Amino acid sequence: MTQDTIVRRVLDFIDLGDASDDAFNELALLLFEYQFQHNRPFAKFARTRGKTPRSVTHWSEIPAVPINAFKFLDLTCCRPEDAVAVFMTSGTTQKGRRGKSHHASLAVYNASMRHNFAERLMRGDHNLDMGILFPTPEAMPHSSLAHYLDIAMRSFGSANSENLMRSDGIDVPRLMGALERAEATGTPYALLGASFSLVHAMDALQAQNRRFQLPPGSRILDTGGFKGQSRELEPDAFYDALSDAFGVPRRDCIGMYGMTELSTQFYDNGNADCPAPKSGPHWIRSRVVNPLTTMPVPKGETGVLLHTDLAHYNIVTSILTEDAAIETDEGFLLLGRVEGAEAVGCSMAVDAFLQAASAI
Amino acid sequence: MLERICYLPGLDPETVSWKTLNSARGAQGLSVAVPLLSEQQIAHVAQHVRRNAHKHLRAMPVMRIVEIIDAAVARLLDRQDPYRKRMEQALPAMTGYDAEMVRLGLTRYLKTFRKPELLKFLAEDFSNPGILDDFQPLAKGGYGQAFGPPVLGHIWAGNVPALPLWSLVCGLLVKSGNIGKVSSAEPLFATWFAELLAEVAPELAGCLAVVWWQGGDSQPEQAFLQAADMTLAYGSNASLAAIQSRMPQGKRFLGFGHKVSFAMISATALDPAKVAETAHRAAHDIGQYDQQGCFAPHVVFVESGAQISPRMFWRYLARSLAAFGQRYPRRALTLAEDNSLAAWRQQEEFVQGAEVTGDMRGEWSVSFHESGQGFGASSLNRAVRVVAVDDLADVPAIVAPYRALLQTVGIAVPPDALFTLSKLLGDVGVTRIAALGDMTSPEAGWHHDGRFNLADLVNVTEIDARAPAQADKLAFYDD
Repeated sequence: MTQDTIVRRVLDFIDLGDASDDAFNELALLLFEYQFQHNRPFAKFARTRGKTPRSVTHWSEIPAVPINAFKFLDLTCCRPEDAVAVFMTSGTTQKGRRGKSHHASLAVYNASMRHNFAERLMRGDHNLDMGILFPTPEAMPHSSLAHYLDIAMRSFGSANSENLMRSDGIDVPRLMGALERAEATGTPYALLGASFSLVHAMDALQAQNRRFQLPPGSRILDTGGFKGQSRELEPDAFYDALSDAFGVPRRDCIGMYGMTELSTQFYDNGNADCPAPKSGPHWIRSRVVNPLTTMPVPKGETGVLLHTDLAHYNIVTSILTEDAAIETDEGFLLLGRVEGAEAVGCSMAVDAFLQAASAI
Repeated sequence: MLERICYLPGLDPETVSWKTLNSARGAQGLSVAVPLLSEQQIAHVAQHVRRNAHKHLRAMPVMRIVEIIDAAVARLLDRQDPYRKRMEQALPAMTGYDAEMVRLGLTRYLKTFRKPELLKFLAEDFSNPGILDDFQPLAKGGYGQAFGPPVLGHIWAGNVPALPLWSLVCGLLVKSGNIGKVSSAEPLFATWFAELLAEVAPELAGCLAVVWWQGGDSQPEQAFLQAADMTLAYGSNASLAAIQSRMPQGKRFLGFGHKVSFAMISATALDPAKVAETAHRAAHDIGQYDQQGCFAPHVVFVESGAQISPRMFWRYLARSLAAFGQRYPRRALTLAEDNSLAAWRQQEEFVQGAEVTGDMRGEWSVSFHESGQGFGASSLNRAVRVVAVDDLADVPAIVAPYRALLQTVGIAVPPDALFTLSKLLGDVGVTRIAALGDMTSPEAGWHHDGRFNLADLVNVTEIDARAPAQADKLAFYDD
């Protein structure tokens, strides 16, 4: 099975618009076999868990790779040096070690992004005036988010769309100009960025005592994540503030959830109520599981997310996250990063130990 | 059943507002209400304890105190006693630990507080325990009497059931009034012990109190630290530092911070005739209270060179842990604990390149390090690292960087090595060396973290050697 054939199969699957359980299973098993054959660290990982293409008969049995492993293993089917893009995590844990995802081509990533974005954010519109509050791919070549937002603007942005970041932060005059223009012309406007960029934008507005009332049909996409880069707001306060600053109703403030370790994103349908359930397209399936056993927890209980993303063909399809969530009929409620237990009493947990050792 | 906990002599329970605690472990059939005490109420209780201790405890002979504690402990050892019955039922529900493990652990622990054992506490710290009752001759000349603080404050942890008994007994032996703050994780034992003590010796009913406040709530804590003459606390280094920063000027603070322990197994203990016993004893140390005590091992260093290699021992240990878990299942974990354990396994596998074996449900996990990776902390809950070493004498250098954190070493070596290795281990900061299998049950009078249990609590008042001679000159019989 060549890479081209695999890419073709996945692209066809994305194009289907919907998929039966059987079709999902068939492609997932095919990808498992492909990855088992070409991705050596993954094959070793699977083998130590007694999972091989021979023993795995259902996609849910494919061993899920913990996101921690992305920091230490080159999980790729192509040679690392042949990758056209390497997306990396921000390296906020494990002493700056960054999780890596090698992409043999971006055809599938981009198709996955576009199909999903068209449905969940564009909601039938062909293009919109867009402002991006995140660095460009040139400035951040290893950021999957920079790439994602760039594709959004190139594929769905009108000629008036622009990236509003300068190297030293938000280009406030241009942001103001774009918002004023939208208000004046009545053209719906879409503002896209990481949660912390949106907080910075709101702070900039507040500093000038400005508020906007963007025209109906305008929307805001936040990609989550404060990462210590801005003050942190509770979801309700965050969406209230967005709605207040830009005049976009909370139902049109859409939250995206994506990961460097995936090639597919999840969206909610607006944040009139928080937390809003998030869901993905037909080529990704998510389960809420116990982090230790990876078995699903009873519906309604909190567990961590385990995603099986068929668009992540060059890497691994199934990943075990550290994101706590609750399954609902509409998808899952994302609750943030699950924390390890604090040490109690006189014994100590790993974090405290590492701290003590580094202090010596 | 709603159980009101804490013991508040001198305070009308109806004037106190109560809050039901939500157990992180969803204690079945047991809900616990804690008092929300104002600063004034804490000060009032402490004052009550101070007055009563002054009246009843300060003048009581230490041997009488020993007898009272012994009588109370004897009741707790009696499985038909109502207090014991309540403990056997409620402590597993509260903490999540296996009921049989708690029952056996409780008995083993309580046995170290019978009269002969209590005498060891005294003998360890005072060559003449009479020094707690009266002025006694000192070796250098003169006379001395030891006085405990009038009110001793305790801030207890809840990781292991019945933990407060240790410092409470020490406080009583030095004749202090005691006021202790219980942890939300295990507030029951101290409460019931206080009630039982009042039953056994009604004159002591007002000499101790058990209180609660939400950890980190600084106002009740401030009142507590102000009311006690001296405070000892168990907890994380961060929480101890926070308490210390709030200590009123001039009052002493004793902090017992986080510690790590480990095991060392010599090639001799891997003899085919002995290896099963060795693995069994190691599994007990790892399994007891799910590694939550500071004396539980995080790492097992295993010496190469025997017919049974360290790698084979790793398998033996895995089987022993599985067997231990059959008999005493590990408690159900919270999601955060599950995640912490999953992260530990991943850390061992991906970062350290170790081989990891474990039960599917995560009941136990053992990683194997062929060499060199050395020391590291476990996520607890029956997760342990086995490290092969060429020579056990190499271990002290491996653990030396963690000096401030080291506590117990569980050791399985022949007699000569016991003493030579102990010397090396003491030199890098280890404070207790126990036989493998005995790590989790420290003996009576053990110098906790290398310190003196009683001597650290008291002030000695001395009568200068020359004073009696001068006093003689003022006697009616002076010529």
